[in-house]
Order: sequence, then C-alpha cells, then structure tokens
Amino acid sequence: MSNNPTSPIQDFTYVGQRFPNREAEQKVAGEMQYIDDLRMPNLLHAKILFSPQAHARILSIDTKAAENLPGVRAVVHAFNTPRNVYNSAARFYLDTNERDMPKTEYIFDTTVRFVGDRVAAVAADDPFIAEKAIKLIKVEYEQLPAVIRLEDAVEENATQANPFGIQGTNLCGGRVSYGSHSEKEVLSAIDKAEQIFTTTFRTSRVHHGYMEPVCHIASYTRDGKLTIWTSGQNVFCFRDVLSTALAMPQSKIRLIKTVCGGAFGGKLEIMHEPVVALLSMRTLQPVKIRLDRKETFMASRSRHEGILTITSGVDTQGKLRAQHVRSQLNTGAYASSGPNTVGAQSGKMFILYQAPHMYYTGAPYYTNTPIAGAMRGYGCPQITITREVHTDLVARALGMDPTEFRLLNCVRPFENNCLGNNLHNALVAECILQGRTAFDWFKKRKKAEESHKGRYRIGVGMDIAVHGNGWYPVYQDITTVTIRMNNDASAILLTGTHDLGTGSRTILAQIAAEILRIPPLDIEVHEADTETTPLDLGAQASRTTYIGGNATILAAKAIREQLIDEAALLLALPKEMLVLENGFVVNRQTPDQRISFIEIIGSAQSGKHGGQREIASTMTFESKDSIDSYAAVFCEVEVDTETGKIRPLTILAVHNSGTVINPLLFEGQVHGGIHMGLGYALSEEMQIDSRTGSLLNPTLRKYHMFTAEEMPSIQVMLVQSPEEAGPFGAKSIGECATDGVAGAVVNAVSHALDGAELNRIPLTTNYILSKIPTSS
Amino acid sequence: MEPTAQTISFLINGTKKTIQVERSWTFLYVLREILGLTGTKYGCGTGDCGACKILLNGEPKNSCTLPAFKADTCTIVTIEGIQEEGRLSILQQAFVDAGAIQCGFCTPGMIITGTALLRDNPNPSELEIRRAFSNNLCRCTGYVKIVEAVKLAARRILAMKKEQEVLKEAINVK
Repeated sequence: MSNNPTSPIQDFTYVGQRFPNREAEQKVAGEMQYIDDLRMPNLLHAKILFSPQAHARILSIDTKAAENLPGVRAVVHAFNTPRNVYNSAARFYLDTNERDMPKTEYIFDTTVRFVGDRVAAVAADDPFIAEKAIKLIKVEYEQLPAVIRLEDAVEENATQANPFGIQGTNLCGGRVSYGSHSEKEVLSAIDKAEQIFTTTFRTSRVHHGYMEPVCHIASYTRDGKLTIWTSGQNVFCFRDVLSTALAMPQSKIRLIKTVCGGAFGGKLEIMHEPVVALLSMRTLQPVKIRLDRKETFMASRSRHEGILTITSGVDTQGKLRAQHVRSQLNTGAYASSGPNTVGAQSGKMFILYQAPHMYYTGAPYYTNTPIAGAMRGYGCPQITITREVHTDLVARALGMDPTEFRLLNCVRPFENNCLGNNLHNALVAECILQGRTAFDWFKKRKKAEESHKGRYRIGVGMDIAVHGNGWYPVYQDITTVTIRMNNDASAILLTGTHDLGTGSRTILAQIAAEILRIPPLDIEVHEADTETTPLDLGAQASRTTYIGGNATILAAKAIREQLIDEAALLLALPKEMLVLENGFVVNRQTPDQRISFIEIIGSAQSGKHGGQREIASTMTFESKDSIDSYAAVFCEVEVDTETGKIRPLTILAVHNSGTVINPLLFEGQVHGGIHMGLGYALSEEMQIDSRTGSLLNPTLRKYHMFTAEEMPSIQVMLVQSPEEAGPFGAKSIGECATDGVAGAVVNAVSHALDGAELNRIPLTTNYILSKIPTSS
Repeated sequence: MEPTAQTISFLINGTKKTIQVERSWTFLYVLREILGLTGTKYGCGTGDCGACKILLNGEPKNSCTLPAFKADTCTIVTIEGIQEEGRLSILQQAFVDAGAIQCGFCTPGMIITGTALLRDNPNPSELEIRRAFSNNLCRCTGYVKIVEAVKLAARRILAMKKEQEVLKEAINVK
C-alpha cells in the first residue's frame, strides 16, 4: 500500500495541502461560541410540551396555571397561533409539487400524530420555570387509532396515520417508478434470465447522533423583523419555510447559521424555529430553546427505516441481465423529505452496476412515529446495503468471488448507463482492484475461512457504493459566491455554503487562494447568513465541495480578470502577458515587471483608468453535470459464535473523489462516515414500541454509537484522477464516506457465518446467534 | 422549610470562587450559566457523552451529573484553564495539527480526558488511549485523528522533556 495514499497528484500551491481546519484553534481552546453559548440581554427560555400520544385529537388545552406561574411570559399552542401548512424540508420556494414536497406540517396542530409531536410551548425567565410551566399545562386528548410499524402502514386498508396519505392510504406524495424499460419488460427480462435471485432487506431507523443538541434562538423586534440563529444546514430554504409558516415577507426574516456542533443532514430541515419565533413575537424578547438529549432523539429527525426487495436475473457467466428494486420507506408522521429521499434513492439504482434492463419503484409511507428526514446518504445507504448484501449472495451462489462479480458488472468510465446517461470518470472498478490488492483480499478470505471451525470466526467482506454531487439533472442547483478585495490585498469571501464542522470555510479559501495567489489565511470566509451572504441551497446532496468550490473558482477568476485589466493599464502591457504571483500582477516573461495588488486596488478605487470602482465579484455557478463519487470498502470482522458479538477488526475505504482539496479534512470525513456505517450495521437503532409509538431508547447510553475502544483499525486510500467538471478536479465526499460501510460489514459477517443470509440491520447478538451455522 | 440554596467555595482554573447554588443545580449549569464558562458543553445531561468533562480534584468527571453543592472545597479545571497564558497546551496544539477537530463540540471534553491521561501515563499505548476515551463520544472523526493527536502530543512532550534534560545537564556541567 502506498506510503501516502492521499497525497496530491498535481502541483498546486494551496489546493491539495493538509491545512488544519481554520476553526480548530478556537474550538480546542473552548473559545468557539456555539448557539448554546450565545448570550443576549433579556433572553427567555422555552420548553415544548411534546405529545405522549402516537395519534390523538386535542380536545382542549388549559394553560391558565402555566400562564400564572411567575416568570412565564408566553404560552402558545394550536388554538392561539396561525395555521399555515408547510413542509419543513422545502428547498425551492415555487416547488408546489405535492408529489415531491407535500405540505403536511403546522407549527401547532389540533391533532398530534407521533409521540414527540408538538402540543404547546412556553417562554419563561429561566429553563427551570419553563420546565415547571410545561407540567402545569392540562391537555385533553381523544385517542385515535395509530399505525406504528411500516409493514402495517403499507397494507391495504391500513389505519391512516394522517389525512395526507394518497387516496385514503398511507402513501406519502407519490410512488417513484422508472427504469430503462417498463416494469413489465424488466420483470420479463428477469424471468428470462438463466438464474434469478431475490433478497428482501430491512434497514433500521437511526439517528444522526450529532453531539450538539438541537437549539434555536429567535428574536422578533418591534420593527417587525425576525432574526433566527440556528446551527442548521439550509438558511435560505429555512427562510422560505418560515415565511410560509408565519405568513411573513422574506425580507423581514433573517436566518443566521451559527457554528455547528454536527448535523449530518439532521439539521437540514426546519424543526422548532417557528416555535421560538412565535414566542418572541408574543414577548418582543429573544427566546432560546435547547432540546435535551431525550427530546433531541424524539423530536428532531431520523433516517428513513426501509424494507427493500431486490431481484436480479443473471446469466451463468455471472453477468447481470436485469435488476428490479422495490422500496418502502417509513417517513414518520409528516412528509418532510419522504418523497425526495425515495427520488434520490432511485437514482443510485442506475449508476453503479450495468444491466440492459433495470427498474426502480419506491414510495414513502406515513406512520405515527417520529419524523424521518435527511440523513447522510439520503436513501442511498438503504439501497446500497440491500443491493450489496444481495450481490454477495448472488456471487456465492454462482461460485464467484465477490470482487470478481462486481468487476464483471460494475460501471466503467465514460460508458452510458441503461438510461442513456454518461457516467463520466467512474472509477469504481479501479477502487475494487486497488483495494483488494491493498487489503490482501484473497489471502485474507482464505485465512478467515480456516477459522470457521472455532468459537471465534473471522469474516472478510466488501462492497461498493456511489453518491452524486449535487442534484443535476433533477433539480436546479446553484450557489453564488462573492469575493471582495480589501485595500491591503487581503480578501473577504462571502458564501451561503454551510460549514458543519466539515471544513468548507477552510477549503473554499484554499480554492480561492490558488487562483488569487495570496495565502488562504488572508481570505476571510463569512458564511450562511441570509442578510449578508449570497444564495446557497444548503449543505446537502454532497454539493458543498463540487458546487461551492466551482462557484468560488468563478468568483476568483473574475477578480483575477479585474486585477489584470487594471494592471495592464498601469504597466502598459497586453493582458495576455500578465499573471498573478504572490500578491502581484507580473509579466510572465520578465517577472521583475510587476505591480502589487495593493496598488491595483488603490488605482481602481481612485478611478485613474476610467471609473472609480471596487475590485469585487459576485458569480453564480450552475451545475450542468451529473458527477458521482465512488467507493469500495473492505472489512474484516470477528464473530463470537457463543455470544453473537461482532468485533470489527479492520476497514479499508478506497475512494474515487477526483482530486482532493484538503487530504487532512477529506480523511476526517471518511473516518466519520465509517463510524456512522459501523453503528448502522452493528449497534444503532431507534427502538419504537409497536404498541404505544414511544421511543424506548432516547439516551446516548441505550442508543449505542461506537466508542473509541470499539473502533477497528482504519485505512483510507484514494484512486485519484481529476474529474473535469469538479473544482480543480475534485468531487465531493460527505455522503459517499458512509454509504458503503454497512454493506461491507454485513458481508464480512455473512462470510464469517459461511454465507448465512442476513436480512436486517443492526446485527444484534440475538439475530447473529440465530444465524450461526448449525455445524459449528 | 429546607433551604434550597447553599454557599459553596471552590478553586476554578486557579481562582477562588464563592457562590450560592441551588440544590437542584448541576455543576455544568453553574459553569455555563453562573460563571459564564461556556467552553464546557451540554451534550446529553446524563453522563453518557463526555462533552461536559472537567477535572475535579485532578480527575476527569462529567459535570452534568455532578450536583453543584458537591463542588464545595474542590479544585476544578475546565477547558478554559488548560491553555497556558493564552498558549495552547501541547495536547491542544496536537489536536489542531493532527486534524482531530471537525465540529469541535466533543473537543473540550476530549482535551480534559487527554490531559489527565498524559499526565498519569506519558507514553500510553493505543489501547490505553482508546480505553481512556471510552466515555467521550465523537460523531465526526471516528476517533482516528483523536488517537493520533494524543500519540503526537505524547511524542512532543517526551521530546520536550529530553530537551530540558539536555539543558539541565549543560547548566550543571557549567
């Protein structure tokens, strides 16, 4: 394995360097202010009364005792607040497509639809009074029939979780169905294949597990202006949603993103910002709410639970002839990202494996359970693990090595897929080849099989994964970046891009620096404030590096042009002879002929050469390419056949993400994605009582995320090859970092158990014990 | 009626403080809301994530499950007290250099645990490091670069000690 697997492949000055995250020093000193650390005069504290019922009509709410408690400043609920329906996940203001973004949510409704739904809220002088006041609110409920389990929600004549299901069912929005041919033709192609295999897989509801609990602050002032602080991922879209929910003009709503203590998609949707907004409107004081950890589990968002069925028709050589996927996702009590997640999932069907006949059909369903929303991967982890576990079963049945089967069937660079779309520089095959060499795949597999006689069985498995970069061609996808040169030739970069701890502020400065030829730390990056930064459509869909980076390049190039234009006049040289170098514009042939940025900026401002002006640029990047990031993940595990416990030993993640802007930050993303995938496969699950709809394990003790002690050894490798459409050849990594992890782990466990068919995650000890081969 | 408030005195980051606390308060609440020391974070309130760790009489403790009155007569160090006259400690600098900080929310708790570890065990093995952090959760890093940072800090501390010894020798010889 190469000594420096993530070293830069081209000669850049700033791009490709392992700069530390520019926020690291303040964070490590405990000086970085997160939203819970902000202090404001007259700040009130809010608490929400959450529903204890899965489905019930609110007959009455008596808030007198709460209102009379000294220190209580306002109490809000469905009977004293505006009713404007919205979708918390809405991204495009004019998107009124009820299939895609059905509006099903109210700030407060007169019916509660999951344990954790909002009933009322209180603002008080301190959190203790607010807590007391909540307990004094008397609510009369009329219980309604509830549907908790996904398999019950999809049934004909199922109990309806809410009134929004299509034609009296629990179908949310609409079904997404399409493929290379009609479903009938694809199923027929499967039937005609020499061998047919089907797998049904059940994925779990998991939580993002960010360390910073959900927290918002709202301040409504007498001039009618509402300011909201949130560590969310989508300030402009939040503003859209709030303007709808509160029936206020967008110019009167300001969303400010605070330093984010982890999000992973979980802070991509409006949550309780409207509540603190209402309380602030009532009191004309700033109001803060911080959910405790239990409330964070119960009343934020979670990953869509899924039941997916995949059927493949293969020939005797192992070539995939046809494939069909049917997916059911549990979107919880309200639509939010449900239909979108299905849509995003569907795309992953057609860009990883090649087959002439492919079809996807999927739908989200409502249940009276906590709302499912965006989570890192956004539908991709569910289809990936289903497909990859299935692929291993097929390979085993055909007597083929799992890597060989995938090499035979995976997409190749610049091919067209069965939908006629070009796959660009898709290097997944290279990831498999390099990975299996580095992992010593064949030897490790064989050695593992020798251990299958004992109590501790070693298993070796792998899988592959793909994730898009942005939304092209499905939705509009733009971001705008402004760069302004200061008088001393330092710069300010204004971007709507959201840094979630992901380091986007750091890498955007590296990209701008590469073009402007000034050090990255001389470029101040100001982000995600609807009043002061230009438009961005959210940190999601792995668009940050790809789209944010490209927009930065456009803006920096425009600055370069302005600098050269003015320098050409000052030096009396043609523009073509001039380049930027270390804060100077120089004659590329005789670099002694030069003029400093400072002089150029001053000259432009004084109007020496036509028109007094600022050196500044605002440029919008529009995505016109469907670019995909690929990965192959290899995993070794140990299974204790007596206890059913699984110990992951090693993981190798091989990523094809174009060139890497900052390898230090890139590796961190992959490591975190592995942590999330390990939990998905082995230990994490939000357990919902099928009778009451209550979340049984809303604590960080009972919801088990991997600790430092439990982590396997991890290696990251890069298949580096520039992606032409990417900024300096880069592709995004955020979600691809986790999509392919759980499948590799499950395949390794299956290998340990002689190919036992594993159909669900997490792999609990009881489940594994039930799968131990009886011969051992 | 039983009094709910109590006066406590403690040493915090080298400064003596005497304050009144309610019996219902946690020490985390005192830190963040009364003393204004917001470097220590609320992550779960139940002692499960370690974001609220402080050194209590030298030992890493979750302040979210520590009743405020129990801090009476104690010596406390918070993340704000780790830096030395505005300079990051060797461990803090190692975290920065190793890329061990992404969102940073778990970082103060990690630094507290790591500081105590390296003080008691200047050359910890990988396993010892991972065990020491078993009550510090992180969702961003997979702990990979956190462990690397602790190892880096250990190496740097060792190098610094060696340098000091060489200097001492040179002075003694004189």
